Order: sequence, then C-alpha cells, then structure tokens
Amino acid sequence: MLSSLKKISQTLLAKQQSGLIIVILLLAVILTALAGSHLDKTTGKTVNNFFNPHTLMQTATDASFFAVMAVGATMVIISGGIDLSIGSIYALCGVVTAMMLRHLNIDSPTACLLGIFASVGLGIICGMLNGLMVVGLEVHPFIITLGTMWIFRGIAFVMSKAESILVPGALTAFAKANLGLNPALYPVAMLVMIAVTAAGAFYLSKTVMGRHIYAVGGNAEASRYAGLHVKRITVSVFAISGLTAGIAAFMGSAYYGSASCGDATGYELYVIASAVVGGASLSGGRGNAVSAMLGAILIILIRQSIRTLHFDQNYEWIIIGAATIIAVVLDKLNAQLTLKKAMK
Amino acid sequence: MQQDCYLKFENITKRFPGVVAVDNVSIEIAKGSCHSLVGENGAGKSTLGKILAGIHQPDSGKIFIAGVEKRFRHAGEAFKAGIGMVHQELEFCENLSVAENLCLSDLPAGAGIVNKKQLYEKARQMLKVIGAEHIDVEKRLGLLTVANQQLVQIAEAVGRNAEILIFDEPTSSLSQSETENLFRLIDKLKRKSITCIYISHRLGEIFRLCETLTVLRDGKVIGTKNINEITEDKLVEMMIGRSFEAYFPKHIKSEKGPELLRVENLSSPGKFENVSFSLCAGQILGLAGLVGAGRTELAEAIFGLDKNIKGKIYLQGKEVNITTPSQALGCGIALVPEDRKRHGLVLSMNVAENICLSILEKISNFFKSIKKRKLLEFVDKYFNLLKIKAASPWVQTLSLSGGNQQKLVLAKSLATDCNILIVDEPTRGIDVGAKAEIHSLIDELAGKGKAVLLISSELPELINLATNILVFRQGKIAGSLARNEVTQQKVLRLMAGLRN
Ligand SMILES: Nc1ncnc2c1ncn2[C@@H]1O[C@H](COP(=O)(O)OP(=O)(O)OP(=O)(O)O)[C@@H](O)[C@H]1O
Ligand SMILES: [Mg+2]
Repeated sequence: MLSSLKKISQTLLAKQQSGLIIVILLLAVILTALAGSHLDKTTGKTVNNFFNPHTLMQTATDASFFAVMAVGATMVIISGGIDLSIGSIYALCGVVTAMMLRHLNIDSPTACLLGIFASVGLGIICGMLNGLMVVGLEVHPFIITLGTMWIFRGIAFVMSKAESILVPGALTAFAKANLGLNPALYPVAMLVMIAVTAAGAFYLSKTVMGRHIYAVGGNAEASRYAGLHVKRITVSVFAISGLTAGIAAFMGSAYYGSASCGDATGYELYVIASAVVGGASLSGGRGNAVSAMLGAILIILIRQSIRTLHFDQNYEWIIIGAATIIAVVLDKLNAQLTLKKAMK
Repeated sequence: MQQDCYLKFENITKRFPGVVAVDNVSIEIAKGSCHSLVGENGAGKSTLGKILAGIHQPDSGKIFIAGVEKRFRHAGEAFKAGIGMVHQELEFCENLSVAENLCLSDLPAGAGIVNKKQLYEKARQMLKVIGAEHIDVEKRLGLLTVANQQLVQIAEAVGRNAEILIFDEPTSSLSQSETENLFRLIDKLKRKSITCIYISHRLGEIFRLCETLTVLRDGKVIGTKNINEITEDKLVEMMIGRSFEAYFPKHIKSEKGPELLRVENLSSPGKFENVSFSLCAGQILGLAGLVGAGRTELAEAIFGLDKNIKGKIYLQGKEVNITTPSQALGCGIALVPEDRKRHGLVLSMNVAENICLSILEKISNFFKSIKKRKLLEFVDKYFNLLKIKAASPWVQTLSLSGGNQQKLVLAKSLATDCNILIVDEPTRGIDVGAKAEIHSLIDELAGKGKAVLLISSELPELINLATNILVFRQGKIAGSLARNEVTQQKVLRLMAGLRN
C-alpha cells in the first residue's frame, strides 16, 4: 500500500507538470490560509473567502476561456510559430454567431447547436487563413497574425457597429447548466476546458499528426527531408488555434449572455503567457497541452489572489508580468536539471 | 559496364541563384552495384543525390528507374519509390526520441494514433540492421554523440528496405570500427542487389567499396570509369583538373620557439582527467584517440567553454583563468569547432559576415560601423587562400556545399590572427586538393611561430602534420610520440590501450 503510493507519487513527480501542480496547490493553500472567512447568511456557517465551491468554480470558469485557447496556441508554438490573432478571432466568432442567431431569431437547443457550429467553423476558417498566408506568402507568423489581429477585430467592429449583441437564452442556459449541482454553480465551462485539454494532449502526444507538429518545430528542414508535408502541418496548427478560439468564443458569449467586438482584447498575450508558463518553447519543439492549461490556471489564480487578498488591483499587471518571468526561469532551471540527470 | 542499367540520370540540370549546381549530367548505374560520385567541394555531388531523393527538383532532365521515368515532387514520394538517403549535413529533430526520428515519415499507427510499442520495436529493428543496437531508442536524439547521430541517420535510410541508397559522406564522423561495420553492411546490401550511390572524399573508401565511379567538376561530368581502370593518382587528377603531387606538406623547418601554452593536471569530471602538456611556438601538437576519448572536451575547456574544470592553464608562463570564449579570443586562442552546424557557423548570416564574425570589432570604424572595404579585404583573402566556392560573399551560408561551409569555419578562426589555434577535425568533408592546401596552411602557420593543437580522427593527417602526438584513451593521456618515432601502428596500439 505504502510502496504503491510511493510509486505513484514518484511517477507523478517525474512528470513535467508536477512543478506547476505543486506551485498551484501551494498558492491555493496559502490563499486559503490568508483569505479569511465570512458568514454565509442563508446557512449561517462560516465560509472561507477562497476555499468555497463558488469561488473555486468561478476561478476555474475564468481560467477555462484562456485555457481552451492556450491548448491551440501551444500547438502553434510547438510548431515554431506564434498566433497573435486569437483574441480577435474570439471577438469575431462571438459577434458573427450572436448576429446570426439574432437574425434567425430562434431560441432553442437548435440555436445552441447552430451557435457551436458557426463559432467553431468560423474559428477554423480564420485560423486556416492565417496558416495559408504564413505558408503561401512565406512571411513570419508573428507579422501575419499581428495583421489579422487588427483585421479580424476590425471586421467584428464594422459588423456589430460596436454595439454589444445579446445571445439567445438557450445558449446561456447551456453554459450555465448546473448539472444537478448546487444551483449557483456552473461547471460546464470547466468541463469544456478539461475536455479540450484532454483532446489536445491526446492529439499532441499520441497521434501521428501531433508528433509531426513536434518534428516541424524541432527541425523543419529535417522534417521536409523525412517527407513530411510541412506546409500542411503549419496550416493545420493555425486552424486548430482558430478552432479553440471559436470554442472559447462560444462558451464566453454564452456564459456572459452577449458578444461585442471588444471581447477578449489582450487575451492573446495571456494565452501565450499561459503556454509559455506551461513550458512551451517559443523556438519550437517543446510544450504540451496539459501544461498550457495549468499555466492558464496559475495565471488566473494569481489574478484571483490579488482580488481575494484585497491587494491594490492596480498592481495586477506588474505581479502577473513578474510571475510569468519567474515561472519561465524556474522551468528552464528544471529542464537543465532533468537534462543533467539524463546525461548521466 | 553497360550491363543492365537500373538507375539512369538523363541530362539532369539544376540551377541555384548564381550557380549551375548540376549541369547536364547523365549517368547509368547497374543494379546491385555501388557507384561513387567524386569531385571537389561544390562539384554538385550532394545536389545530384538530393535530386534523386526528391528534395530538389531538376530544372530539366529525367530520371529512370528500371526503365520507368520517375518524377518526385517531394521527399515522401521518393521514399515510397524505395529511395533512401544518408545526408551529409545531419538533419534531425533533436527534441524527439531516436525512435521517432527513425520512423518520422512513417510512424507506426492505427487510426492515426501512434503505437509506442511498435514504434520502439521497429526502431530497434532498424538499428539492428546496421549493428547499432547499443543506441537507446527512447532517448532524446539531441543527447546522442555526433557519431551515434550519424549511425541513426544511416539506420533511417537503410532500415526502410530501400532499393536505392545514397550515402553522402557517411563516414565523416564515424570511428574506424564503425566505418568498417558500415562497409560490411554495404557489401551485404549489394549482395541483396540493392543499388548504392556513395559520395566521399576519402578515396580509399571508394576503391574499397565501389565498382564504378563518376567524377564531377563544377556540376559537369568529367568522366565515368570502372574502378579497375583507374588509379588513385589518376582520379585526383580528374577531380582537380591538374596533376597533383604532394598530399602532405614538406614541413617548413620551424624552430621550436618559446612556450605559449601549458596545461597542468587539467580535469573535468566525466570528460577528461589529469591532462598535462606544453605547446610551444612553431609546434603542431596532434591529439589522437577514439571519438569520445575526451579530445573535443579538452579543446572546449581550453577555449573557456567548460565551467567545471580543475587544474591550471598557463599562457606564456602566466597562469590564466579563462571562463568565456571571448576571453579566450582576447588571449589569442581560436577554436575551429568539430560540429560546424551547431558551433561553427551562424547559418542565417551571409558568407562574409561569418568569416568576419569574430573580428567585426576590428574592422569597424570609430562609430562602430563596419567598414565594407575592410570586410571585403578579409573575405577576398580567405576566398583565395582556402579556395572557397560561393556565388558571392553575400549569399546565405546555408546555400554553400558542406566542404565550403567547413572552409568558412576555418576562415573565421584564421581571421582572428591568433597565436594558438585549436582545430578540431579541420578537414571534415573537404576535398583532396583543398585538404592538402589546408595542411600546407597549418604547416605554414607553425612555421610563422604560431602554435597549433590539432585534433583529428584521420591518422595520416595527424602523423604527417603533427610534430608531436598525444594519444588519448578514455579521458586520459595514454602516451606521447614525437614525429621521428611515430607510426600508425604505435598510435593505434596506444589508442586501444596496449603497451608499445
Ligand atoms: N540550397 C541551395 N541554394 C543555393 N545554392 C546551393 C544550394 N545547395 C547547393 N548549392 C550550390 O550548388 C553547388 C553544388 O553544391 P553541392 O552541395 O552539391 O556540392 P558537393 O559536391 O556536395 O560539395 P561538398 O563536397 O563540399 O559536399 C555549390 O556551389 C553550392 O553552393
Ligand atoms: Mg556535399
């Protein structure tokens, strides 16, 4: 019993993600200890300000939008590229989906289904456009997606005339379904995050396509010599990145009940930070989906702690910026240690 | 010779910006034979190989296999047609495991999902074919030594049951015994009537392996011969277009000058132990040993690349503590590294910039802007001195042939005008003519009172060039031999750990 526990803990520790998980748990424990508590008026019990189902679920929900996109963004980063346009794809998908559903004027589970298809489909199209331009024009993805970052958001702006568009209630009912839990808890966003991460992790580590992404990021020339379709793979990672932005956009607009062209402004940087905190290397070839999700959770947790502990909110960016750099440096040290072990 | 031509190149031409790499080449090769391509650096050998392997597409001309015309739009199609290539420049995904690299183009999978067990099994099988079972297939490729990476590259091409195999300088970083293994493997392949194309600058290998050969110069065919109708001297003459006498320099009589470098009890854990020697002006000290004996690591340590060293280093009698390459260069030490792609060149910069990379400071004006005239002076000098072949000084380094890239690395170190030159496998991939010139150049440098530390796996190179040879074995100095007492036999015995 004890030995098997030891074995499990050892394999867990050997995993790349263990460092992140430990940091997240540590932060959660500290937060719980320092958060203080308040009296719940309805039940009359004292409740920890952080460690209560409601705040935890809210943190997970906040993280989910970033995490879903981070899974896609990580794939682009692993392939050696970068996608700055995901925040804008999010906004465009949200706006177009909301406008379409308003135009059709339906409010039923069908609306929900249509919404998913529209949002995800448009996300894939935007991502493919990015990918096709990167390989077709042979311009660095940073430039292409910097351009489309403005273009996509601009289109959303023009289409929506800068107004916020309500989405049908059926969508919100889906995103806020409580699945038999306490009526004030909405776990769907979190479940979507877990599902997308699991799918991404599987795709990256187990499938042929996934391994090809690592190969292209590791050495594009060698991949070409090995007969891989480097261009096709590049387009596919951008399409996946667009797809995850589409999913996040659907979840986001459904959850908040509306979509506008200003949604998700600046998300791309949070998402890239999540991937990088999760150990993805901007020079390509390294990273994974689970770590990207954990990276997103860590960043949101830091943001949450600023709020829970009533720090001055004005320091939020400084703290998140510093934390990102520290996390990456720690990850680098960890990688060096593992390398030393492997060399022995 | 005309017996059942299996593989046929017909009037193949390939142009790159500024050069005709392959110029109207026609060759016929019989099934189950080994055909060699020989020629100077930049003659077009690798390019011709890559055309067959589907990596480059010819501008004109046709390829026939067993009488059927083939056109490969990319490497994948050539693989499917049964063509494998061992590349001169090792191309790998260092972030992936050995097994994944071996099977990259064809990962064993069911419904798009990789089957790890099958993958490892297949990879082990591929390594076994070439007798390299000692390599761990689950290890990350980047952690392997260059020699093992080369073996993986060979396994990748051979293990796929190809019908035609192209070997582009496969032995350039293999040890003697691994080279022997490879030769036995090629013999075996030929018996299985697999057709081989073998590219090498080591003429001995060609006479050992091949039935026929084609000499290329500036992309054109100079001649195709049967191996038994040609001698080594005649072959060299065909390659360089003039007769050729001395393979090795006459040795400019150089007086042993004052001591420039002394190393005392230098150790680096796990790499080398208790190394002591002294190097004087006018001396060429050769370091012999097997790949992995610690010679490269010693060179790196002296050049300030190893932070874990213990022991003392003296320059002109003064103890120094060199911790970075820029300090080493400041002290007049230059290194020509073993791995030109990883450590020798900035492949994204152009040829001129690479040559002058270490001396940009020196050729810049008061405002630190680079003087183009000075830059071109250096570039011209080394283009002439080393016979570097490039379309212009402004082309990307990556577009140069392998041998010419190696010459750039040498030029970069020579340009620093150092007192102590450490050269690690300086003539890897360099053609016979240029090699002799580089040998003379090293000899001249010693004659001018510089000190040279020469690391080489080619014994003839060491024996003919070095004034003294230190033999390394498993990180320790196993013995030392002076020029007048050195023989190949003695060096080999010391390398193997036998007493003389
Ligand atoms: N990708 C490329 N782009 C531009 N020029 C190239 C490219 N590849 C090769 N060349 C040029 O084509 C010529 C032939 O090169 P190639 O690599 O075939 O020579 P090689 O015979 O293999 O020489 P080496 O013995 O040095 O390996 C050279 O002048 C080289 O600069
Ligand atoms: Mg070549």
